[in-house]
Amino acid sequence: MTLDLPWGQLLINGLALGSLYALTAFGIVLIFKTTKVITFAQGETAMFSTFVAFTLLTAFQLPFALAFVLTLLFAAVFGALIERVVLRRINATTVLNPVIVTVGLSLILLGAAGWIWGYEIRTFPDPVVGPPFRLGTVVVSQLNALIFAVTLVLMAVLFAFFRFTPTGIAMRAVAENRTAAQLMGISIGRMNALGWGMGTAMGAVTGMLIAPINYLDPSMMGDVALKAFAAAVVGGLTSLPGAVVGGLVLGIIDSVAGFEAAELRNTIAFALIVLVLVVRPSGLLGKHETKKV
Amino acid sequence: MGVRWLRRGGRAAAPYGLALAAVLVIPPLLVIIPGVAPGYVLYLVSLALIYAIVAIGLGILVGHTGQISLGHAGFFAIGAYTSALLTLRLGLPFVVALVVAASLSAAIGFLLGLPALRLSGPYLAVATLGFGLAIPQLVVWQGSWTGGSSGLHGLPPASLPLGALTIVFRTDQDYYYLAAAVLILLTIFARNVVTSHTGRAFVAIRDSEIAARAMGVDLVRYKTTAFALSALYAGIAGSLYAHVLHGISPEDFTVLLSVDFLTMVVLGGLGSVGGALSGALLLTFLQNALTRLPVVHDFKNLYIVVLGAILILTIAFLPHGLAGVVRSVRQRWAARVRAGAPRGDQIVELGEGSAVR
Amino acid sequence: MSGPLLEIKDLTISFGGLVAVDGVDLSVNRGEIVGLIGPNGAGKTTVFNCISRFYEPHHGTIRFKERDITRARSHQIIRFGIARTFQNVELCRSMTTLENLLVGQHVVVHGGVIRDGLRLRGAGADEARATMRADETIELLGLAGYRDRVVSALPFRIQKLVELGRALVSKPDLLLLDEPTAGADSRESQALADLIRRMRDRFDLSVLVVEHDMSFVMGLCDRLYVLDFGRRIAAGTPAQVRTDPVVIEAYLGEPEREVSDA
Repeated sequence: MTLDLPWGQLLINGLALGSLYALTAFGIVLIFKTTKVITFAQGETAMFSTFVAFTLLTAFQLPFALAFVLTLLFAAVFGALIERVVLRRINATTVLNPVIVTVGLSLILLGAAGWIWGYEIRTFPDPVVGPPFRLGTVVVSQLNALIFAVTLVLMAVLFAFFRFTPTGIAMRAVAENRTAAQLMGISIGRMNALGWGMGTAMGAVTGMLIAPINYLDPSMMGDVALKAFAAAVVGGLTSLPGAVVGGLVLGIIDSVAGFEAAELRNTIAFALIVLVLVVRPSGLLGKHETKKV
Repeated sequence: MGVRWLRRGGRAAAPYGLALAAVLVIPPLLVIIPGVAPGYVLYLVSLALIYAIVAIGLGILVGHTGQISLGHAGFFAIGAYTSALLTLRLGLPFVVALVVAASLSAAIGFLLGLPALRLSGPYLAVATLGFGLAIPQLVVWQGSWTGGSSGLHGLPPASLPLGALTIVFRTDQDYYYLAAAVLILLTIFARNVVTSHTGRAFVAIRDSEIAARAMGVDLVRYKTTAFALSALYAGIAGSLYAHVLHGISPEDFTVLLSVDFLTMVVLGGLGSVGGALSGALLLTFLQNALTRLPVVHDFKNLYIVVLGAILILTIAFLPHGLAGVVRSVRQRWAARVRAGAPRGDQIVELGEGSAVR
Repeated sequence: MSGPLLEIKDLTISFGGLVAVDGVDLSVNRGEIVGLIGPNGAGKTTVFNCISRFYEPHHGTIRFKERDITRARSHQIIRFGIARTFQNVELCRSMTTLENLLVGQHVVVHGGVIRDGLRLRGAGADEARATMRADETIELLGLAGYRDRVVSALPFRIQKLVELGRALVSKPDLLLLDEPTAGADSRESQALADLIRRMRDRFDLSVLVVEHDMSFVMGLCDRLYVLDFGRRIAAGTPAQVRTDPVVIEAYLGEPEREVSDA
């Protein structure tokens, strides 16, 4: 293997890919940050929302902007409903329970999507039309540039939201100390529902941005969601910047690995994740929670 | 104390005894029932028994020791591929291949247990998930000798050399008895472990790692042992799987299979060997029952949806699974019987009942 | 053995920027009951956690029976002869009282996964002995009525007793008790103090106890150490410590605390 790789293009591709992972990871981190639940269903909720968008665009012939907004609304409500109906009933005493429930949820959504819309691969309209940008020998498609931009903007917005707005702080409070939050008059249920609503809406955004690239079918988010999950964990489940770092790093590794040893993409990515976690068990930028003895 | 154990074991062993009797009696009965293809039914039941082996091992890791694994299909695959390659390419007898496959799987399980020491909860889940995904990918990558994505086929019939005589397993009925025998032995082993000093150490780790450490439980030793043990079971099951199917391919070992295994354990009831067993049997039965429904063309979707629903409903309404249901029924029955008798437990004040003078 | 049973020298540990324990010296001699007291956050439980090896001290040594255990692994501590209880009871919640006391003897019972799985010879005898010892301890503490009850269902003060039993059942040389009277009223505290004294006499135990209950500590302990902000501010007999102006001032910061006559 020579090291004569087109590093520039690989880097750009990696950043593009990584942004997809980071965007999806945002939803996971958001939900964990507020409800302390690790959701394995982020990919499937995103996929389902994207299918709803598709239906709005094709069956109802709505303009893109309108379909986008309606889908976000759907996703937010859908997420809140999931929280209210499913998650509120489970006893989250063990870590295993939420994991199993969200895995179950992802299965239900996967099967439902296959049942409603079938497994044929469909094309999803591209939100941006235009020639790709050229930076020297490197090519960046407009969509990739948009995705990267959206990732950075969202990261900044969410970061500010959790740091500076009363609602954001309330959501963090609920996650960190339920009793104290309750005593301060914060409604746990409402914050949890809000967290799930926001996280699911975020998933819808990522789904609609990924679909033009990956085509639309029930398994479209599978690989991305898995990597996004890993990115969130590596970055530290409570850290939004960490999700970005994790996602971009993973994207670059994936891009390079895809070039050199395509069959081992997943293996390499996960081997590295295990390595990172062993060295820093709470992720790169995560906070380590020690139990008081 | 030995008598007490026997007595306690006696009552708890009743369902196992029943299961054992059922297992032995099924094949001759099937021949009698008209309209049933006994070979196919036996094949399905063998598969269920093989999955049950995995479930029992996974149950010890997840239920008793409180760890998590979303990648046990990986160990299953290691067992299957090792056994298949050794019998197909090297012509080794099945029993040798089984032992090697099981040992390799256990060794890798031990190794996976090491990083698991530093990880918990979602982090461990992701690490094991990655493991489960990596194994089939590695198989495809080394396709030249593993058969790649087309897999390995035409495995020779499993053979068991015993000195002068060699037992060869050919028919579905033969394989059924093989699977049943292995399952019975492994179930006994599992129950022994779980009701012993080692089993208590596992549960201590689950309930309170701090207390466990303070009581002298070496977390490194016991966590890696739990992983190795569950991997051993999955490896043995994988080896049997390859031979019952006479061939394997990487698509047999997906994430969905890992989720299947986890569902069996959860449905059966975490922390119960009998539970893992019944969860596996029930789920396999369900999987096959769904194929017979009219919506066959949508079977895959339906099965996936039902699986997901089972997971959620079990956690929501039956957190202790089927084993929990059986236990509470038993308790209510016992309470009803005891209703008239005076209550045995009195509150003893410290100092009054204390024997220290 | 000539020196103290437990000898801690210059123990120092900090978390982030906060120095939790600062150059603490303390020792426990054979057969002594020593108390470790001080206002909240003084670092008392942190000292325990260093002894139990849950924390890694940055400086200092801990010697037990003349052996340096400062860097030992946490699961080895009980083998050396130190058993402890915890401030927030750490029991195996899904197990019964008996089972908790069986796990408490983990280091006494021999086993290994293969030996246990195959039920090889010896496993049964060990188990029987362990059960007998557990039952003895249960009788000792008056827990017979709770023997087969799952501990998560038991009242807090009974759980604390079970935890004490779990510590005792391994027949330790040194017992570390972390706030044993939490949740107990004065009558129960007195009974507990009597029990500890009797244990010490009967089993040749030494005890190091962290406590907030002054009357308990003053009546029970042979010697006291007082910590404040991680530093040792006083040491001596209860009589000496009670009248030490430094100690009184440390406690005056918290008006509900009074150094009362035992």
